[in-house]
Amino acid sequence: MVDRANDGILEERRTSIFCNSKQSGCELKCEKDSLAGSVSQRACVYCGARVVLNPITDAFHIVHGPIGCASYTWDIRGSLTSGPETFRNSFSTDLREDDIIFGGEKKLEKAIDEICAQYSPKVIFIYATCIVGVIGDDIEAVCKNAEARHGIRVIPVKSSGFAGNKSMGYKAAGKALMKLMDGPKQIKNEKEDNKNFNINFLGDFNLAGEIWITTGYLKQMGIEINARFTGDSRCEEIMKAPEASLNIVQCAGSMTSLAKEMEEKYGIPYIKVSFFGLEDIRHSLMSIAEYTKDPDIIERTEKLIFIEELKVQAELRKYSSRLEGKKAAIYVGGGFKAISLIKQFADLGIRTVMVGTQTGRKDEYDIIREIAEEGTVILDDTNPAELEKFIKEKGADILVGGVKERPLAYKLGVAFCDHNHERKHPLCGYEGAVNFAKEIDMTINSPVWRYV
Amino acid sequence: MKNRNFTNLNINPCKVCMPMGAVMAFKGIENSMVMLHGSQGCSTYIRRHMAGHYNEPIDIASSSLNEEGTVYGGEKNLKKGLKNLIELYNPDVIGVATTCLAETIGEDIKRITSEFAESEGLEKDRIIPMSTAGYGGTGFEGYFSALLSIVKSIAKDSRPNGKINVIVGNVSPGDVRNIKDILDSFSIDYIILPDISDTLDSPYSKEYSRIPKGGTRLEDIRRMAGSSATIELGVTIPEALSPGQYLLSAYNVPLYKCPIPMGIENTDLFVNILSQLSGRPVPERLVSERGRMLDGMIDSHKYNGEGRAVIYGEPELVYAVGRLCFENGIKPVLIATGSQNGEIKQLFKEYFSKNGMSPDEEGKNGDFPLIIDDTDFETIQDYSVKLEANILIGNSDGKIITEKEGIPLVRIGFPIHDRMGGQRQVYTGYNGSMRLIDDITNTLLENKYEGYRKRMYSKYYQPENQVQPANDSRTADIDKKTQSHPCYSSGAACSNARMHIPVAPACNISCNYCNRKFDCVNESRPGVTSEVLTPEQAAEKFVMVKSKLKNLKVIGIAGPGDALANFSNTKKSIELIKKLDPDITFCLSTNGLMLPYYAEELIALGVSHVTITINTIDPTIGAKIYREINFMGMKLYGEQAAKLLLDNQLIGLRMLSSRGIVCKVNIVMIKGVNDSHIPEVVKKVKECGAFMTNIMPLIPASGSVFENMELTNNRDLTEMRKKCEVDLKQMYHCKQCRADAIGILGEDVHGEFERNSCKGCAPAPAEAGRKETVYLFAVASKSGIMIDQHFGHAEEFYIYESRDSKIKLLEKRNVDKYCSESECDSEESKIEKTIKAIEDCNAVLVLRIGYRPAKALEEKGISVIQTCERIEAGIRQAVKEIEEARVVLGARS
Repeated sequence: MVDRANDGILEERRTSIFCNSKQSGCELKCEKDSLAGSVSQRACVYCGARVVLNPITDAFHIVHGPIGCASYTWDIRGSLTSGPETFRNSFSTDLREDDIIFGGEKKLEKAIDEICAQYSPKVIFIYATCIVGVIGDDIEAVCKNAEARHGIRVIPVKSSGFAGNKSMGYKAAGKALMKLMDGPKQIKNEKEDNKNFNINFLGDFNLAGEIWITTGYLKQMGIEINARFTGDSRCEEIMKAPEASLNIVQCAGSMTSLAKEMEEKYGIPYIKVSFFGLEDIRHSLMSIAEYTKDPDIIERTEKLIFIEELKVQAELRKYSSRLEGKKAAIYVGGGFKAISLIKQFADLGIRTVMVGTQTGRKDEYDIIREIAEEGTVILDDTNPAELEKFIKEKGADILVGGVKERPLAYKLGVAFCDHNHERKHPLCGYEGAVNFAKEIDMTINSPVWRYV
Repeated sequence: MKNRNFTNLNINPCKVCMPMGAVMAFKGIENSMVMLHGSQGCSTYIRRHMAGHYNEPIDIASSSLNEEGTVYGGEKNLKKGLKNLIELYNPDVIGVATTCLAETIGEDIKRITSEFAESEGLEKDRIIPMSTAGYGGTGFEGYFSALLSIVKSIAKDSRPNGKINVIVGNVSPGDVRNIKDILDSFSIDYIILPDISDTLDSPYSKEYSRIPKGGTRLEDIRRMAGSSATIELGVTIPEALSPGQYLLSAYNVPLYKCPIPMGIENTDLFVNILSQLSGRPVPERLVSERGRMLDGMIDSHKYNGEGRAVIYGEPELVYAVGRLCFENGIKPVLIATGSQNGEIKQLFKEYFSKNGMSPDEEGKNGDFPLIIDDTDFETIQDYSVKLEANILIGNSDGKIITEKEGIPLVRIGFPIHDRMGGQRQVYTGYNGSMRLIDDITNTLLENKYEGYRKRMYSKYYQPENQVQPANDSRTADIDKKTQSHPCYSSGAACSNARMHIPVAPACNISCNYCNRKFDCVNESRPGVTSEVLTPEQAAEKFVMVKSKLKNLKVIGIAGPGDALANFSNTKKSIELIKKLDPDITFCLSTNGLMLPYYAEELIALGVSHVTITINTIDPTIGAKIYREINFMGMKLYGEQAAKLLLDNQLIGLRMLSSRGIVCKVNIVMIKGVNDSHIPEVVKKVKECGAFMTNIMPLIPASGSVFENMELTNNRDLTEMRKKCEVDLKQMYHCKQCRADAIGILGEDVHGEFERNSCKGCAPAPAEAGRKETVYLFAVASKSGIMIDQHFGHAEEFYIYESRDSKIKLLEKRNVDKYCSESECDSEESKIEKTIKAIEDCNAVLVLRIGYRPAKALEEKGISVIQTCERIEAGIRQAVKEIEEARVVLGARS
């Protein structure tokens, strides 16, 4: 047509790709809008907000917009609940042509009324989609009126798709959560001496029951959980989150800004943790224990780590012997996950030859550059053409990614690890570490590759 | 019928958006790419959704509209995006589809794309703009409007080419391959649009190509305007979106419309069109595939007959699958689509009327399924339960119903993201249809067989030590009593008398049709008595009546209130009378409210027959019938009351029936309140073990709430009984007796035993007091005109009815039908079987009869009349004789 397809890299994309070198001071372009026509793997603001808020099990999540946005996010994630299942439904105002012309506020109002008449919601989140931002529906006013009318919390989530990228969605969700905590019955964080030490757990969405595994460790250590953001969470516990002594933050990409805001507003300090991979788990559990300065807790934690590691080490060794020397390519949503994956692969003797994220931040890319080998390709907001090019060029044996990336890996004859929100097996904690190794072994060493 | 339970909310969507449909269509064009003009998420979500189904890399570009583009227009982004897209993929054709956002901010993509083409020196038709606002329709409309845009902008070469256009609805790549196979078997030169057979299900190869190989060639699309015909596999498409329709009106290409070839009729239609267009006979391969399919349909039909299917998805698919289900006896109870589509309802209406199905009753019991469009899964789930579906047929999203309600799902359509192979499914043609039938049948079978042994075991098996030997004789005893009970056995109805003892004055529920205040000897209906007796008085009266009515076999307690609301009286009366006559049959009737509490005691007392009045199984209807209930001192109203009553009725019924007690359920038929619901009641009580139901007309008792209600006429009543007879034995001879009735059914003689005579009340009209008299006669006749046959020679009897002296032939009964061959060898058993054949008759009319059979008949209470008259005359004489005999009995008392 014009040119034949090029080598897979658009000129404007070159600054978002970096061949790792510890000496070079070259900056990687990140935290920017996607390039039109590049076939970015990123989603939108709405997606980010939905990911963070949706696991709140007893909240009603109404998507205000045409049906597509609701349809493609209905119960697709593996967040589990120990109680209410409200969040597994998809509520949408399903806007039509007329609503676009005359405005959707009335319909949204009535939709809220209908929900209140049929169920007894405590909290409703209203997600704004692209066109809501354009047709000028004042969802904030609608929410405010609905709160007065029904005596419940109705919280707007400003997630019009075009207004930034997925990280903006995390921020929008954080704002919504702050709004929920700042309710009329706001609980002040009273620093009483006799108050029990308790924590909020930020950034675990209870995929395949992960938050049950990790809070299980914390309970064994003698640490009380105050509120979970947002895996298997209830509205009530979010509302009392300001009471906590400490925030631990796992999915840093989505939760750091919220943790900072909570520190400012409620004086709750936070520490970053990760329960992926043995090293990270040990470090995180010990940090939490030491933070309490309680010698009993510290002793219990040391014991727990010793025993749990003992249980899995032999099995992990078995897998690493089968995986030693393999090469991995990583393309995931956030920087936090990429970092922990590089470390986990290293534990198994696997070298990471390509790593990229959709929405990694500058400080995260700095860490990646630090821990990645020389020559590792680092990319921000990449696309199928570049993935194809670098997987082939670098001779990766496996790609880690999401649903969209999976068929590409398979078409290239490369193994694949599902490190996404749809998976049905836990990857965190000690069991998760074993599951991870097992999955990598199962796909890399599958007999099917003999035939391709 | 509501399409959705909620007006302003769509809960759990049963549709995808228009741009997704457009992408799916466009993926079937050779060396093409799609660019979505909108924010980044639209393209990513659609890619993710499609990748999960097809397991293929799905590359869709986005113009990645940001805040700036949204405010100042997205032209810059779009043009830059197109440039980048061409650089990366170098496609032959690019579809530019709008999204909600682009449409709302009013992007003129036609102008932008043609400007772009011009400035880049591209041919005009290399970029096809498509207007697909997400709120403008669903994936279904998006798919066809994209096809239409493609055809409109490319198909311009109208030079005749002798090819056949085939436009396929949205089916799997596997199905497109299969349809191509069928076309090939006719050696037809065709252009298929779109052709996703390779692009969305591409083979593995060493060389990866960014744009998958295959798809309809642009060159071919260009020539569609000159083809000799178009076959469009889509009948539910609105005309304005039909590419075939466009080719017809713009280029005069003849159009043949045909549903997706699923099911035998749809495939036949498709194959016949191909045969007609190609001028070739149907290839042998298809003939045998068809034969094999028929063979398979026959093999499976009895399993399929148990299917109650909910079918959902895109209009075109549900139409085809719905037809396939009908052909196989799988009853679709609900056909649902998330798109707004009026065509599908119309098409099914035509189909049903062509097949003689009555479209007047939708849903649960009618032939006609409920058809709803613009719906959501919340609503579909609701109906699946209400309509008692046992199989779901549709895409993976229905799994929520499987998870919550346990109804298994056969996956078909898009998306199938929780199972493998959606892209390979072949459910079209004779071969594919048979596979779909097999999948449905096997799902039904799996559901049936799973836990089958356990189900049957727990339902029927009784451990040895728990079966009381006494039970066996008790059941045998109950069987005998049933035969001699006038209410249960119409044969016995005429000969045995019963006596209602009015010992239960109080009632614990208030029914709107009842008024117990009205006491009069001339009033004949339930709830009425002239006096209330103590248990002792009842026993005394029993002795008196028994001495006069030798055929008194049954003591019933039917109020005037409720037998169980006065349990101590009821119990004592039974105990006293049982001492006086241990062979008497005890029966009682109740509203069932207290049944679960007294069922055990009733069984211990020896009550063998219980009648429960259950007018409805729906608490909302119940709330219209019952004003209040008094449950052990607690007053309840409305649906709450009706629900409690219903639960107790059904529990009580199960308790009694499971212990061998014969239970009759009375249903008062109240026009406009419960009449249309009665068949459901009958089904339910059957399930709970009822022996028979007695549907009775409402008597609008004066002073009751329903006093001005319409009287149910006999025709409606009989019709209803006939309708319900399919499910359960019906009582046809109920006389709706008083609470103190005495005598043979329909000939109440309670007045003759009255302790106190009537104190004077408004006299009932003379006609109202008179009952119809009905007699049945068995006539032995060779000629059919005269009574001219010996009883012993008669192999068949003419059964006549005399109703108020109107004589009518009902039927002919063959004696042999009443016994098996081995039984009928001896003469004695022949008499027996003859008697069995006519035992419901009042008299038998014969030329002559032997001594033994005559005596046997008399013992059964059947009169014998020997005559050689014409039949009618003989019957008239017989009626006279019988009535005189009754008068004698009356005079004697």
